[in-house]
Amino acid sequence: MQAAVKGLFHWMPLLFGIGFIAPLIAQVMVRFDVVPPLGITPLAFGLLVGAPWGLVTVIRGRWL
Amino acid sequence: MSEADPVILRPDLGDAGVAPSIDRPALPLGPEGLDRHTRRDLLKEEMAIAREFHGGRMWPYAVAAFGCFAVWLSFFPLGIMGQINLGLAFVLSCIFATGGYVTSHEAMHSNIGRPGEKTRWLNEAVGAVSTIPIVFPFSMARMMHLEHHYHCNDPVKDPDYTDEAPNALMAWYKTWYNRQPGVDGSIHHYKRILAEMGTPEAARALKETMLLQLVFMAVLFTMAWSGYAIEAALIWWLPRHIGLSYIRFYLSWAPHHPREGKTARYEQANIFKSRLGHVLSMGMETHLIHHLYPGIPNHRTRQAYLALKPILEKRGVDVSAI
Repeated sequence: MQAAVKGLFHWMPLLFGIGFIAPLIAQVMVRFDVVPPLGITPLAFGLLVGAPWGLVTVIRGRWL
Repeated sequence: MSEADPVILRPDLGDAGVAPSIDRPALPLGPEGLDRHTRRDLLKEEMAIAREFHGGRMWPYAVAAFGCFAVWLSFFPLGIMGQINLGLAFVLSCIFATGGYVTSHEAMHSNIGRPGEKTRWLNEAVGAVSTIPIVFPFSMARMMHLEHHYHCNDPVKDPDYTDEAPNALMAWYKTWYNRQPGVDGSIHHYKRILAEMGTPEAARALKETMLLQLVFMAVLFTMAWSGYAIEAALIWWLPRHIGLSYIRFYLSWAPHHPREGKTARYEQANIFKSRLGHVLSMGMETHLIHHLYPGIPNHRTRQAYLALKPILEKRGVDVSAI
């Protein structure tokens, strides 16, 4: 159980990127009428930003 | 015979009979130049004055803690239903997240109700609700804060030592940097200390911390994927970060900088003048009083400082700021 929770926290930045950053980006874009490039949806754009950002954070240990 | 030559008082004792050529005080002096009798008298006087400022009305802390927590909770349904101005909710949430530490801090020192008193439950309840907005469970907050008092400014044992920075700008940056997932600062540092402690209380605090963090994430994810990411960000996510940075800066860095080597009783914290004033710096201008007497509630530390100022000055404390 403890190992599972530890693993969950290790991958938390990736989950946060998908679970929160992505929909937040999408909803902010919709709120301010920003159209994503290449005809993709705001949520797809959010996922394209949020997921890699979270993954990089897991590897680097820092969001910025 | 010159003045510097030693005076032989008892030639039969050899070197032991040599009087020192340089005059020394009869009693050893402390770093502030006071002998131990003076120090003892000053301490008695200091304690008598400090005693007058202990206790007092603590119910406003409880009202503030529960009131703010209830209002903050109401922001979630109101935000989801579009019944509240999100800008206002954001500003208030930042205030609640930051101010919650003050009410929780009184509970950490059992100033609202000591063990065995009738108001003990209130003390524990105030502590429990106050730091939920910053996702910092009371069990961990109390343990780490008391460790900070026991080992103030010790680079290894003081859990808050990671907040140290060479200047204010760097201190603000560090409040953010220390929260990064791969950096051993703030809550990560706390988690490591708790794991090393290995006591049942530490294990419980660690468990509660993980639980609260999981609840926090679950709420953010659920709200975000239900179409309320902006509401979640403005009511909880951003206020938490702003509150934590403000708390770290004003409650940890500002009153303790510089920390290096400042472990003695009268040098653990500074008396300083905040640009934001007494209230907005959360009473931290006179934080030294809190370290000397944690039983004096936050709202009385300034008065206590003014009453103790002459004694602190004699003790070598720099009281020029206030």
